Amino acid sequence: MKDTTMALRIAVADTATTAGPVKIDIRDLDFYYGDGHALKDVSMGIPANSVTAIIGPSGCGKSTLLRTINRIYELYPDQYAAGSIALDGRNILDRRYPLSDLRRRVGMVFQKPTPFASSIRANVAFGLSYYERLSKSEIDDRVEAALRQAALWDEVKDKLAHSALGLSGGQQQRLCIARTIAVRPGILLLDEATSALDPISTAKVEELIHELREQFTIVIVTHNMQQAARVSQQTAFFHLGELVEFGKTSEIFTNPREQRTRDYITGRYG
Amino acid sequence: MAIPARRRIADVLAFGFATLATVFGLVWLTWILWTTLSEGAKALTPALFTQMTPPPGSSGGLLNAFYGSAVMILLGLLIGAPIGVAAGTYLAEQGRYSKLASVVSFINDILLSAPSIVIGLFVYELVVRPAGHFSGYAGSLALAMILLPVVVRTTDEALRLVPNQMREAAFALGMPRWKVTWQILYKAARSAILTGILLGVARIAGETAPLLFTALNNQFWSATLNAPLANVPVVIFQYALSPYDEWHELAWAGAFALTAFVLILNLLVRFLARKGARK
Repeated sequence: MKDTTMALRIAVADTATTAGPVKIDIRDLDFYYGDGHALKDVSMGIPANSVTAIIGPSGCGKSTLLRTINRIYELYPDQYAAGSIALDGRNILDRRYPLSDLRRRVGMVFQKPTPFASSIRANVAFGLSYYERLSKSEIDDRVEAALRQAALWDEVKDKLAHSALGLSGGQQQRLCIARTIAVRPGILLLDEATSALDPISTAKVEELIHELREQFTIVIVTHNMQQAARVSQQTAFFHLGELVEFGKTSEIFTNPREQRTRDYITGRYG
Repeated sequence: MAIPARRRIADVLAFGFATLATVFGLVWLTWILWTTLSEGAKALTPALFTQMTPPPGSSGGLLNAFYGSAVMILLGLLIGAPIGVAAGTYLAEQGRYSKLASVVSFINDILLSAPSIVIGLFVYELVVRPAGHFSGYAGSLALAMILLPVVVRTTDEALRLVPNQMREAAFALGMPRWKVTWQILYKAARSAILTGILLGVARIAGETAPLLFTALNNQFWSATLNAPLANVPVVIFQYALSPYDEWHELAWAGAFALTAFVLILNLLVRFLARKGARK
């Protein structure tokens, strides 16, 4: 009897966290690469302080969705989005939404580690000194905090002045995460952030995602379905630019409603 | 799985031809260096760097020519390199997808292959004729115009070699374009951009035609840029055409110094490029 109530309570708690307030509200989103229609009428609410995984075969639009949330696609003139993405109630696709505000609030880590050609410290401090007037010691504190959060501090604390290019791939990727969370964004977009890493580094980054989800709304694009199952609370399955199914990770992987989802997670295509 | 005889013969032949071609190229280079060195040996004394260009029949050096060349190259560099880097940055970054940039890029390519004598004549019309006299300023300007398209092209290419992922990562932090360019892209492309500038300097160091119409030459010491200014290429040109042996030797020595300077610059470029690659 006691066991059942415990189980019930855990289940309820689980639902409560996954169905938290919607942080990123995507409505009727279409995305185009020139003539290519990459996202078709996508609507989904990404809840706050949890991990949402986006899965689907190559070319299904999952990376495109991430690139829309921080408007990084605007670097390329022939790409454009229609519809709305509300962040705390404000539509970020509105041109009047200032890009630097948006990107300060929405951090992104890419597939390939992209350390800048400067010291480890400068890499992490880069965004900091732009957004905030900080003294040198304050910057040092924030750099240390970010590196600790990214589980990299112990490995680099004695060589902060060394070039970031001398780090291993896994360390570089954690440095990129540290650089991104140093400016304290509320949202973290991870675009296949572990696909270029070895298993040990991948495990470290996944652990990190677990720890960060308390403070961040995390959206992760991954090709690795085990990873999606391991780290996320919600999973969205995309196919050919359409959002096929979006729900609790446990349900998507054990009892998907759609045949296409079932086919993908059982490995029929992808 | 023996390799067919036909392929082995083709391999040997291709390798042989490639080696021959390399030797053929190197022969001329060493021959040029050796000829300038041996012909100019008599004039390669400390006096070369301490005395002025002499009148016919007496000995002297090339100090005024070295000075004039150095000053004009430096000024040409100061004018041409910043504008070139800025324009190359525009082509690779701000203007990457614009029509205007592709037009500018096309025109830059024309300027890059324009005969340097045309540039000399242009500056002659632009500066020398209105001013009424030849001058070091006009020479510097002509050299800057030759340097400019080289720097534009190499800066453009250096920045395009910076992977887009790095650009995206920097922009994803919310940085404005100037800061991304200045602090991320220039750092990543630094050695390639510097290489381009040094190659440009090597190019203008030996230019003669544009200086004939602008700086002309000066037999005597003159520090001002507002008058005809001695310079190594034109001195070589005039002395080599003269009937005097001493002048011939000085011309050879000047040619050797110039070749050595360009060689050293190129070595420096290789060194920088390798340093950049290792990063």
